[in-house]
Amino acid sequence: MTALLRFENVTVQYPIYNSRAMSLRNQLVRISTGGRIESEAGHIQIVTALRDVSFEIKEGDAVGLIGHNGAGKSTMLRTMAGVYTPVSGTIAREGRIATVLDLGMGMDVELSGYENITRMLMLLGLKKSVIPEHIKEIEVFTQLGSFLELPVRTYSSGMATRLMFAVATSTRPDILLVDEVFGTGDAEFQVNAKKRMEELIRSVGIFVFASHSSDLVKAYCNRFFFFEHGQIHEISRDEIPVAE
Amino acid sequence: MSPGTADILQMFKNPGLVLFLAWSDVRARYKRSVLGPFWITLSTAIGVVGLGFVWSELFKLERRTYIPMLTVGLVFWQFLSSSLTEASSVFVKQAGLIRNLNLPLSMHPAQLVLKQAINLAHNIPLFFLVVLCLGSPLNWNCLWVLPSLVLVSLNLFWMVLFLGILGARFRDLDYLISSVMPLLMFFTPVLYRPTALPYTALFIWLNPLAHMIEIVRQPLLGEAPPLMAVCGCLAMLVVGGSITLVLFNKKRNRIALWV
Repeated sequence: MTALLRFENVTVQYPIYNSRAMSLRNQLVRISTGGRIESEAGHIQIVTALRDVSFEIKEGDAVGLIGHNGAGKSTMLRTMAGVYTPVSGTIAREGRIATVLDLGMGMDVELSGYENITRMLMLLGLKKSVIPEHIKEIEVFTQLGSFLELPVRTYSSGMATRLMFAVATSTRPDILLVDEVFGTGDAEFQVNAKKRMEELIRSVGIFVFASHSSDLVKAYCNRFFFFEHGQIHEISRDEIPVAE
Repeated sequence: MSPGTADILQMFKNPGLVLFLAWSDVRARYKRSVLGPFWITLSTAIGVVGLGFVWSELFKLERRTYIPMLTVGLVFWQFLSSSLTEASSVFVKQAGLIRNLNLPLSMHPAQLVLKQAINLAHNIPLFFLVVLCLGSPLNWNCLWVLPSLVLVSLNLFWMVLFLGILGARFRDLDYLISSVMPLLMFFTPVLYRPTALPYTALFIWLNPLAHMIEIVRQPLLGEAPPLMAVCGCLAMLVVGGSITLVLFNKKRNRIALWV
């Protein structure tokens, strides 16, 4: 199957609540006083993270998302993954999607390394029958040895990162969405992680990568989207702003 | 198809995942302590012995009938109350997963109910132990508990989903529920039978949890499940289930933004 990701006039908004708006008690007070204490109950702000965005990403594209903090890069990745649903517009996805957004989601620190690998791979949508081969491959990459039999709680943060990274990158999706994951662990791990990431990128149909580092984006991507106020402009390699 | 309905159908397509996750939650509990979920069994056992002997004397009730009744009441109350107490944070606690993976959201409530059902299975032997020790009667009507339990679990599923949606939006619901739960226990026929209340028995049936306790208790005590509780549970499933489905359809896509 060829991978495809098409956005047509997609707008994503999300509400921001303050602590008062998140309180049921305050809402009840507001209703029972006929809204007279409305300002006390706190109002909800709507943020438009993506405004009327359209593009098409095809098989073989590696797209770099660049922009300031809060420009909508992470929202874009989550919308691509189907986590956030747009308020208007349509999204067409073809191919299996995997995300490397926050490392370590779904991990239970009380369970052993092995149990966590199985758990996270199941969550990533793998069938139980194919999990053993992935475990072997993860064993080799992480070099955690017998530590994998101990609860993850006992790991150093570097070891936990190694495990999380290995699991997140062990599936072979058609579409891979990555949010800045480099720059963790010791020097040796960084080299290995980079190698593994590059292999993974080569194997997928579509690769989307959000980063602050223009060097990394230039190294891995062939198309570049620049984010500004919830809108995107496709720019060429030379137009990429120099690293902040 | 509406987002909520599609979500629930997708969850039922992969029951293995939900079962696996619920089971691995229980395993994590075993890891933390040697007894794992049996700690609840132990505390229920202490409650049964303590309350059973004092209250049967106080109320001048036959121990052989009162103590098994009390055991069933406490064991199933544990199941209901721990599911409902955790319900309001069911999505908030899984925020990491919800914000990263496009998985059906209804699997989290299902996972919670299943986890509590596994804990319940740890507690049930206590009842048979009590029956054995006291030599109370037991008959085939006992098997009615299985369909009843399915009905109770389905009801719990919509309740947890409903409270979970509200709890994701209103974070103080958590405190509200945990402070109301002990009070609710006294309005639910846990320590007594509804028939023991001459005046307020009718009010007791207004409490949904009363139906859910009675429908499983009667069979275990050797009688067919009471018609009142069966009708009550079915009606709750239809009405509550529909309301929850409407709410879930409307708010399903918002949950990822709330947590």
